[in-house]
Amino acid sequence: MLKLRFHGRGGQGAKVASRTVGTAAFMEGCNVQDFPLYGAERRGAPISAFTRIARGQIMERGVIPDPDVIIVMDHTLLSDPQAAPLSGSNKGGVVFVNTPESPEQLKADYDIDALVITLDLTKIGLDMVGSSILSTLAGAVASRIIGIGEDSLKDAVEKELSGIIADRELLEKNIEAALYCFRSLEPVEMKTLQSEHGKSTVITMPFERARISSPAINAAASSILKQTGNWKVFRPFWDYDVCNKCMICVSRCPEGCISLNEEGFPSVDNEHCKGCLICVEECPKKAIKAVRGPVPDQVEVTGE
Amino acid sequence: MSTEPIRSVKDLPQEENLFPGTAACAGCGGLLTLRHCLKMLGENVVIVNAAGCFTLLSIYPFTPFRSSWLYTAMACAPAGAQGVRDALDILLEKGKIDPEDNLKVVVLTGDGAAYDMGLSSTSGAIYRNLDFYYICYDNEAYGNTGFQESASTPFASRTKTSPAGKGSVKKDLFGIWNSHKPPYLATISPAYPVDLANKFKKAEQYKGPKLFISLIPCPPGWSTDPSHTFKLAKLAVETGFWALKESVFGEVEHTYVPERFKPVEEYLKEQGRFSHLFSPVRKEEQLGRVQEMVNEYWERFGILL
Ligand code: SF4
Ligand code: SF4
Ligand code: SF4
Repeated sequence: MLKLRFHGRGGQGAKVASRTVGTAAFMEGCNVQDFPLYGAERRGAPISAFTRIARGQIMERGVIPDPDVIIVMDHTLLSDPQAAPLSGSNKGGVVFVNTPESPEQLKADYDIDALVITLDLTKIGLDMVGSSILSTLAGAVASRIIGIGEDSLKDAVEKELSGIIADRELLEKNIEAALYCFRSLEPVEMKTLQSEHGKSTVITMPFERARISSPAINAAASSILKQTGNWKVFRPFWDYDVCNKCMICVSRCPEGCISLNEEGFPSVDNEHCKGCLICVEECPKKAIKAVRGPVPDQVEVTGE
Repeated sequence: MSTEPIRSVKDLPQEENLFPGTAACAGCGGLLTLRHCLKMLGENVVIVNAAGCFTLLSIYPFTPFRSSWLYTAMACAPAGAQGVRDALDILLEKGKIDPEDNLKVVVLTGDGAAYDMGLSSTSGAIYRNLDFYYICYDNEAYGNTGFQESASTPFASRTKTSPAGKGSVKKDLFGIWNSHKPPYLATISPAYPVDLANKFKKAEQYKGPKLFISLIPCPPGWSTDPSHTFKLAKLAVETGFWALKESVFGEVEHTYVPERFKPVEEYLKEQGRFSHLFSPVRKEEQLGRVQEMVNEYWERFGILL
């Protein structure tokens, strides 16, 4: 049996990615399971999805703690303790990361034993489909890694997307981008697809007294400790030469994470900005741009 | 709070009573509405939150609020608010809390709870003249569970449970609530924060139910880009689809009427949930019906002739 685990952010398409590779394997005559796991959270928050593929029966159920292949759809998830995408990865396995960085760099930075493969899916998505939703692209790289044929992948993408996307042209673009990703990678020699019985892992919850198991929140505004800044693909960047301090962006940010600096210019809290880009859309002076990449020192850059 | 009306976004209170770090979707119109409401309400409030998207705002051990927060089932937030109000009143009466430490009781629910499940407990609370605020963030479907049709879903909108578009019309919750003749009732929009702020200022002078319904763009449910949230909230008002109005003891007045109504199509065509009206073929009949319903509404008030 082959076990795959996808890590993405809600809205990025991890669920559809796992379905795509599952459907492609099914078309090749395998038995397949695929299912997502969400927390109580929304778009942008870490989610995972799982696929089991076997020639024989699949008797295992539940989440996959020890995947053969891990697909990380967002580089920033690697250091997210809640997502913990590298947990359970092993030496013989494969870790794919959507990033412009090299596999060697990631291996060193995150101390990964497994074979690391990288490709900048976000760039390919933006260039070829015009969107940072990566479902089919991630499904394609997963399919390639486990050695699925190109035709099965193509059929699977078509099947999965036709229920979601009505626009034929967009669907074609997705197929094209998926095939591009597929062809950009080499398949990896994987273990056999024979099914095996995993040991059952039933987790029992310990009994706790009510004071412990039904907690009360006593600190006000503690959500500030939670960083939502790594949800974003693009971040807003201000040009203070153009800004006229009208406060419109401040009043239109749902997160309330734009405040005024000492000179009265808007300044963003990048640890919490979710990258919705309402501020970019709404600034009447077009003083805010959407940019990709790490956060530079705002003062230094605008001082140039 | 001063009684001077607020004139521009520069006059809005600087204080933030809703903090970042929540699990709400990027670009959530409800979060933007709530941020402005809480600026006006201040931090001395108890929020009674019916199950819905916003129960995810406080997930142990994190909360974005400065204030207290209570979680109830979908149908009973106004009943919960009654309990909180009664407890506060008893404490006040016994002199156990100072009058200046009194708290405002604020019910917060989505449209599922407001239009459907919690309607009878809301009717009861208004009928008993409970002194509370009610803020409904209305994204026109059950957004928390994946966007299933609610009584608030407008005609022709696609949801998970109405894939071909809803056949019936949106329930008029404003009308139902208004039939109780509450002291204050208003519709608000995150795209009109000044209008919103002045409505809260006005509501403050009344004891009894003070009710607010906000139409809120919901990027995942509406299939819209998060950056368009503000623009869509504004288009809803400019096309006449969402009327900004208030009612004092049952007397309805519009607080903002666009000089020229934009065609409602401009609002619909931006949203994935209405895309089936435009492609693969234009559904003229349904598009015409939506525009007609908007026109009929304004004609009833003699605003559109
Ligand atoms: S909206 Fe634009 S011009 Fe106005 S304060 Fe923000 S950045 Fe400056
Ligand atoms: S991108 Fe969105 S969350 Fe970030 S500062 Fe702009 S409006 Fe606020
Ligand atoms: S599903 Fe819609 S209403 Fe709920 S948090 Fe997300 S954007 Fe807001």
